[in-house]
This record gives sequence, structure tokens and C-alpha cells, in this order.
Amino acid sequence: MTELSREEAYRRGVRDILPAAPGIIAWALVTGVAMIKSGLTIQQATGLSLAAYAGSAQLAALPLIISGAPLWLITLTAIVVNLRFVVYSAMTRRHLSQEPWFTRLWLAYLVADIMFVRFTTLLIQEPNYPHISAYYLGAAICNWVIWQVGSIAGIWAGSLIPSNWGLELAGSLALIALVVPLCRYQPTLVGVLIASLVSFIAYSLPLKLGLLLGVISGMSAALLAESVKPASRQH
Amino acid sequence: MNDFTVWWAIAGVAFSAIVTRCVLPLLGPRLRLSASVESSLQFAPACALAAIIVPDLLFEHGALNLSALNPRLLAGIASVLIYLITRSTLTTILGGMIVFWLTRSYI
Repeated sequence: MTELSREEAYRRGVRDILPAAPGIIAWALVTGVAMIKSGLTIQQATGLSLAAYAGSAQLAALPLIISGAPLWLITLTAIVVNLRFVVYSAMTRRHLSQEPWFTRLWLAYLVADIMFVRFTTLLIQEPNYPHISAYYLGAAICNWVIWQVGSIAGIWAGSLIPSNWGLELAGSLALIALVVPLCRYQPTLVGVLIASLVSFIAYSLPLKLGLLLGVISGMSAALLAESVKPASRQH
Repeated sequence: MNDFTVWWAIAGVAFSAIVTRCVLPLLGPRLRLSASVESSLQFAPACALAAIIVPDLLFEHGALNLSALNPRLLAGIASVLIYLITRSTLTTILGGMIVFWLTRSYI
């Protein structure tokens, strides 16, 4: 077998993301439109997209920004929604440890859902794949470019669509499509139901604290459900 | 919602994305996540999103709309059903928006 070069590994990373492009673009478009329709300017929406590169946290922050939630709560909520990135990096850092620390950091910064799934799929299929960090980089950059193109297209399209279409709702609907499949795991479903109920009951608390209360009760309920019914564990 | 607060909120969301992605690589192998921490982390995003979506559908400008004819609520319920049937994100968003537009204009 001939030795695989870094360039080939990089190109394979790019190629493996391309089939997912329509899905990434659809999400990015919705995020772009929802940001504009929630009242962000074109500069603000573009800045948020480029700097955060985290669709669900961006969408989650929008209702909070509109309703004037305090900065610490917006930031904390975005951290909670992004906690999956901590889990991703716990998994990927083992395979990127050969790189200098600065490279490790910006490779870690480029992680995204789709490319993470592709990366872990490759690790399962070919555990000894050479130049794994070049593959990671190719997949990450391809994912980033597709997302940003879709997002900026959405921002521009959104600025042309009249506000009375109510398209900011599409952001919450996109989040529904994200949460529902997670509920196949029963403890997650319990957590989601409790979080929904508590955030509704506690809505009138000042500073949007009902949100925080909802997350904490939801997570506790999910952990409790998991400990009660360990046999249903799928992960 | 003035310009200045929005830019701060954007900085806050950007900060969250950088911190969550880089905290472990930055600390290096010294910090490990125990299995129990990892399993509780997996529930956080779903619970946070639910706690954001539900009030967003039920309240409009701070006022509760529990009416069965609340277009946002109907669109949300329709989206859950459409996702369960089609498993397609795009169909879910489009279908939910169509329910929203129809109920808003005809009810």
C-alpha cells in the first residue's frame, strides 16, 4: 500500500463533507434569516455568524436578545447549548495531540456537528488512518465555508423579505427539529418535558431566570430517569 | 434593544463558542472528564433548547397565549409531528411555517 500524503488526507476530509452540503446550507439559511428577522442588522448578524459559528446557540440567543435578557444569562445559555462541543473536544483532542498547541486550539475551534460525525465515522472505519489531523482540517474547513456561505445568503435574503412574514419563527422550528430526535433516548425525553414545563411555569421570574430553572430541573430529571432505568441506556 | 447591548450579546455568544470548544485542548491532558460528567453534559443542550422553545411559542411580547388557536403554538406542535413522520429538518421548518401562516390568516 502506498503512503498516503497529507494533501490526500485533507482532500478526503473535504470530499466527505460535500454530500452533507444541502443539509448544512438549509440550516445556515434558516439561521441567517432568523437573525435578521429578529432585528439584528446585517453587520451584527454577519459578525455573529463568523465569530460564533454555532447555529443552535445563535438561534437560542435570539429570543433572549429580543426580550432584553441580561448579558450573563445570554452567555450562560449559549455555553449550555454549546456544551456538546466540550464532549466533542474530549474525543478529538486525543487524535490531534501531535500538533503544536496553537494548531490544536484553532482545529478545536473549527469543530462542528456534521464534521465531527464524519470524523468519528472515519475513526471507527479506519482506526489507523494516517494524517488524521489533515483529514480533520479538510472536513472542518469545508464545513465552515459551506455554513458561512449559507448563513450570509440567509442574512441577505432575510433583509429583503418583509418582517410581517414572521420568519423569525423558523429559528425555533429548526431547534424543534434538533431536539425531537434527541428524545429517542428516554431520559432525554424526561428532561425535555420537565425543562419545558418548568420554563413555562417560571416564565414570569425576573431576568429570565425561569430559563435557568428549567434547564437545571430538566437535567436533574434526566439524570434521575437514567439512574432509575439504566437498562434503557443506549450510549 | 439598542445597538450597544446587541454587540455585547454577540460577543457573549462568540465567547461561549470559543470557551466550550477550546477549554479541554487548552488545559491539555491534565483535565479529564469522568464518565458521569460526560453523561450529564449530554442532557444539557436538549433541556436548554426546550426551555427556550416552549416559552417562545407560548408567549408573545410577554403575554401568555394558551389559546388552542395560538398560531405559534400550533406551528410548533405541527413541527414536532411533521418531524416524527418525515425525519426531515427542511420539511419540518417549511411545514411548521405553512401551518403558522394558514392559522394566522384564517383563524
